Amino acid sequence: MDKKRILLVDDEESIQLLYREEFEDEGYIVDSAYNGSEALAKFRENPPDLVVLDINMPGMNGIEVLRQMKELQANLPVILSSAYQEYKQDFGSWASEAYVVKSANMDELKATVRKYLG
Amino acid sequence: MPELRKDPILGRWIIIAQERGKRPTDFLVEEFKVKGGFCPLCPGNEKTTPDEVLVYGREWGSPNTAGWKLRVVPNKYPALIIEGNLDKQGEGLYDRMNGIGAHEVIIESPNHQDRFSHLPPHDMLLTFRAFRDRIRDLSKDSRFNYVVVFKNFGRAAGASLEHSHSQLVALPILPRMVTSELDGSLSYFKYKDRCVFCDIIRQEIQQKVRLVCENEQFVTVTPFAPRSPFEMWVMPRYHNSSYIEQDDSSLIALAEIFSETLRRLDTCIPHVPYNFVLHTQPLRSGPLEHYHWHFEIVPKLTSIAGFEWGTGFYINPMPPEETCRYLREVNL
Repeated sequence: MDKKRILLVDDEESIQLLYREEFEDEGYIVDSAYNGSEALAKFRENPPDLVVLDINMPGMNGIEVLRQMKELQANLPVILSSAYQEYKQDFGSWASEAYVVKSANMDELKATVRKYLG
Repeated sequence: MPELRKDPILGRWIIIAQERGKRPTDFLVEEFKVKGGFCPLCPGNEKTTPDEVLVYGREWGSPNTAGWKLRVVPNKYPALIIEGNLDKQGEGLYDRMNGIGAHEVIIESPNHQDRFSHLPPHDMLLTFRAFRDRIRDLSKDSRFNYVVVFKNFGRAAGASLEHSHSQLVALPILPRMVTSELDGSLSYFKYKDRCVFCDIIRQEIQQKVRLVCENEQFVTVTPFAPRSPFEMWVMPRYHNSSYIEQDDSSLIALAEIFSETLRRLDTCIPHVPYNFVLHTQPLRSGPLEHYHWHFEIVPKLTSIAGFEWGTGFYINPMPPEETCRYLREVNL
């Protein structure tokens, strides 16, 4: 069976390394983008099966990236992953399938990814 | 000369620091532009919201599908959660409890471009009915003591999405703002044996210097001590402390005056960001002789900084008599 592909969008290298390792251990293929523009380009070029998307990034923020991704493909699951709770009050975040607050314990994020990718 | 004014209900002082020759068009307001694109509140995207708890106008199709005129859904990422017990605790002199509450979003129109202030009264009526019907339903939950209903319009006023919506939050406690208003109006009642709001309405109708508009059941006034330029209160003419007791005929009259009030405001200052908040009696209080339900509309035209935080005062650059004159004189 083909492995599922995750597009991981985060400007922090340490998060990219940590998440990549964890998701690859779970059996997924991980593609990385470090900002919104790069994420949208990769999304258009080769749509993934799921996106894990940071919000607070330089340039375009994650809520705007989410809006544009949903314009391109409304059914593709996007999980917002932020260190901050306050973006939950931005109703633009509702376009996401889930909002997971970043934590050293990745159980919640991994369980949420599994829910959408199996 | 600046002037200090005292709100007769809360005892809150404000400063009228009038800037000579200031006109409504002098306020810097960001234009409201509809950006469009994917919107989680639009018809067809119902699966991006939690399941609706109230819907009006769907004549066909199943729940959580298109075809509605108004939907109410729980907040997808709520600040307070609906499941659980309060588990009230004391820690020394401090109190705490679980963050239990209901946070719901009222999607006021299926059309992404609609603005609440431009909705015809018969469409605006649906929103006022939704407020009433949701508060009635939430009042059955014994954990809740108050439901705050509010709208943020424009980014400066806290709106994060352009699709027209308002919100409500059911709380296990009475907010301090509500207790202060109840205490202030009770104090006035004990002294004069009259409702302070009824007295305000009588005086404003008589003097007509802060009376913006009126119909058979409601009045809109610019309050004597407003926090913001163009602040307005929409109040029922006849004493009633409970919004949820209003029948549809009362809500029709409310929608008519609210529509006129917001159109007057938007004509004076196009695209002005604002908040409005419903003030009504607590869920468990029963009818109150000293309290009077009403809406407060507060345009976001001034900033709150150190002085305001430190004193609870507000500095307002335009007296309400002047803003009232502008509001009355606009051509609708």
